[in-house]
Amino acid sequence: MDMFLAAVATVFEPANIAILLASTAAGIVIGAIPGLTVTMAIALAVPLTITMPLTPSLLMLLGLYGAGIYGGSISAVLINTPGTPASAATSIDGYELAKQGKALKALKMALIASFYGGLFSVVLLVVIAPQLAAFALKFGPAEICSLLIFALTIVAVLSGDTIIKGLLAAAIGMLIATIGADPMLSVPRFTFGVYDLYDGLAYIPLLIGLFAIAEMLAQAEESFTTGAKLIDIKDIDKDANRLTRDDWRRSVVPMIRSGFLGSFVGMLPGLGAAIATFLGYAEAKRASKEPERFGKGAIEGVAASESANNAVTGSAMIPMLALAIPGDPPTAILLGALLIQGVTTGPLIFVNHPDVVYTVYVALFASLAFMGMVGWLALKPIVQVLKVPKVLLYPVILAMCAAGSYAIRNSIFDVFVMVGAGLLGYALRLFGVPVAPLLIAFILCPPLEESMRQALIKSQGSLMIFLNRPISAFFLLLALAAIVFTVRRQIKSHQALPSNI
Amino acid sequence: MSKFKIALAATTVAAALVFTVGAQAWEPTKPIKIVVGFAPGGGADLVARNLVASSQEFFPVPLVVVNKAGASGALAADFVKNEKADGLTLLVAGGSESTAVPNFQKVTYSLDDFRGVMRLIRQRVFLISKAGSGINSIADLKAKALANPGKLSYGSSGQGSIYHAVMLVTTRALGIEMQHVPYKGGAPMMAALLGGHIDITMGAPEETSAQLDSGQAIPIALPSETRYAAYKDAPTLMELGYNVYIENQKGLFAPAGTPDEVVQYLHDNFKKGMDSATWKAMAGKLSMETAYLNGDDFMAGVKSMSKAIGEAAAGLAK
Repeated sequence: MDMFLAAVATVFEPANIAILLASTAAGIVIGAIPGLTVTMAIALAVPLTITMPLTPSLLMLLGLYGAGIYGGSISAVLINTPGTPASAATSIDGYELAKQGKALKALKMALIASFYGGLFSVVLLVVIAPQLAAFALKFGPAEICSLLIFALTIVAVLSGDTIIKGLLAAAIGMLIATIGADPMLSVPRFTFGVYDLYDGLAYIPLLIGLFAIAEMLAQAEESFTTGAKLIDIKDIDKDANRLTRDDWRRSVVPMIRSGFLGSFVGMLPGLGAAIATFLGYAEAKRASKEPERFGKGAIEGVAASESANNAVTGSAMIPMLALAIPGDPPTAILLGALLIQGVTTGPLIFVNHPDVVYTVYVALFASLAFMGMVGWLALKPIVQVLKVPKVLLYPVILAMCAAGSYAIRNSIFDVFVMVGAGLLGYALRLFGVPVAPLLIAFILCPPLEESMRQALIKSQGSLMIFLNRPISAFFLLLALAAIVFTVRRQIKSHQALPSNI
Repeated sequence: MSKFKIALAATTVAAALVFTVGAQAWEPTKPIKIVVGFAPGGGADLVARNLVASSQEFFPVPLVVVNKAGASGALAADFVKNEKADGLTLLVAGGSESTAVPNFQKVTYSLDDFRGVMRLIRQRVFLISKAGSGINSIADLKAKALANPGKLSYGSSGQGSIYHAVMLVTTRALGIEMQHVPYKGGAPMMAALLGGHIDITMGAPEETSAQLDSGQAIPIALPSETRYAAYKDAPTLMELGYNVYIENQKGLFAPAGTPDEVVQYLHDNFKKGMDSATWKAMAGKLSMETAYLNGDDFMAGVKSMSKAIGEAAAGLAK
């Protein structure tokens, strides 16, 4: 208890609070700007922490981390461009809400859900980190592979009305995911000797292109062909932007479910927030009594996706703290930063440095509280972005997108990837092909291939490894159930509308 | 001594002076780029940033770290090779991209495209097993692998990585067969080891100290010529009679054809940085094993390591 109080006292020193405030604000801004990612922000902040004591450096990095993941939802809602990959699913319903003039409402829900998801996972971390970490270790290649196969079934959920178009998009996603050195033997595939392709297409430029550039092209087309003015929202309707009792009723269960899902995905090494957010969103839609609301501005879609991605922030720290194995790239950098401070995480930390453990806990809670406060205060000013005429807004965003794509690897090649992905995204829109399945297939495929091949090396080629192991078999059954469920729903909707074949 | 001879001697001295002054007069006039083939925050990146922080005061121009991550560092190597040999673009080299990758893949560069400026640090590679797995030494590993041919597995950070090369050379020296399971980096590999999904993993001591110090994992040997102070119970493979010497090194390469006086200037001033208190303090914090070598010795070491890996890789192809 003394240590806890001591940790509280250090964290709430004025200088430390100032650092937390600054890093939270910076995190939100960086998260909101397409192309600047949380991982990059944390990586660039680490050298600054070398000369700092432990508490302020922890506060700085944790502030950036949580707030950055939340910040991604801002641009996802306002301009249909997820600021970080983790918010890709948020834009599906968030942007629809914005188009209906309910941007503020979507952002409020995003903030609340982010806060809840973060809080839930931090509580898990505090209460049962060592046990959860031991469970996460049971996930070998076979288990991860089956989990990812199950995750792939959410393509059906993200497909909208026509599954065939969703599958088409997913196939394109899978195909472009195979570009680059193959994960096992490093044999280059579809690289044509271009070094920039050896690691595959970079994720951020692809994301920016598919969403932001395609959106700009579509808007430009609309204003040219119809002569219509770009949709400018002059006034923000207060009543429409209130969170109603109905909104709460719809959102609470998906939010809680996503808190679990996000925490679960977060503690498995190598999966990360983008997979969590899509899983959370898709499960919300699958469980919903009115799935047709999704994609047309369902507030519960925003809640599900944002709760899931922030739940990753706390749970990714579970294996980091308990085993010294980071759950995602930002926590890997955090681990390095702790090493610089002379703190080795792992099972011994609870014995050797309980004071550090308490400092981490308090810092996590404090950074969550600050994310909530700063985020809430920033809501109204941020929404004013919508009042900026798009003729002025879009060029600025385009410049930021290009800069962000370039900054990933200091490479002009990635800017071309962004433009190419933009044209692809625009073409897909013309044919009514949804982009989300493409993106999720692109995200899921590399770890799926890797874990499948790792498992098959272990089993010397026998597929039984996926059925013999109980956790793996469980996820395969879930996947089967999901497919049966989808097919039945399709048949039903066809029976309901016999003319619609 | 005749006047002529005096005049001649004076001219010679003057010429020598002019020459030496000329040689030392090279000074950079534009920022020096230090290209890192890996992402910010990684090992190679921290070495570069530490070097910049400690050497900046000895240079009249800014030192800039440029990250060009990709293709296990080959992207950056290719970039630097094609830059002007004017000493203004340097590569952080000596790891996978120099010793291992060119032996497994077709790359557009070779070590002859570079010249060494200096070595900065070395990073040991440990063979690590899980506590309680029954593999506590190389002898255990050999016995278990011979009893279960082809059943034991090791993780590496990818085909053609230094870790993969270490195990290729080691299994050949031990006369055993093991399965190779590539992972994306050290963290998933360690998780797989602790979860019992692989039998051996590899890691640098500064990255695996959490697992080693807590007794979850055991360092069973290392392919270096000397033991490592913090884990001095782990024998070197050489002591055990297996001639394996592979480790990670980080130093600076300049494009081949960079003039001697330029390399000399860079070497001397970065050396001042390495000798500074700043470098020592940061290296201590980051657990970097400072290991200075001059440019030619560094390049020679890299070349011999690359050759050993090449021989093992050729064995793999057969």
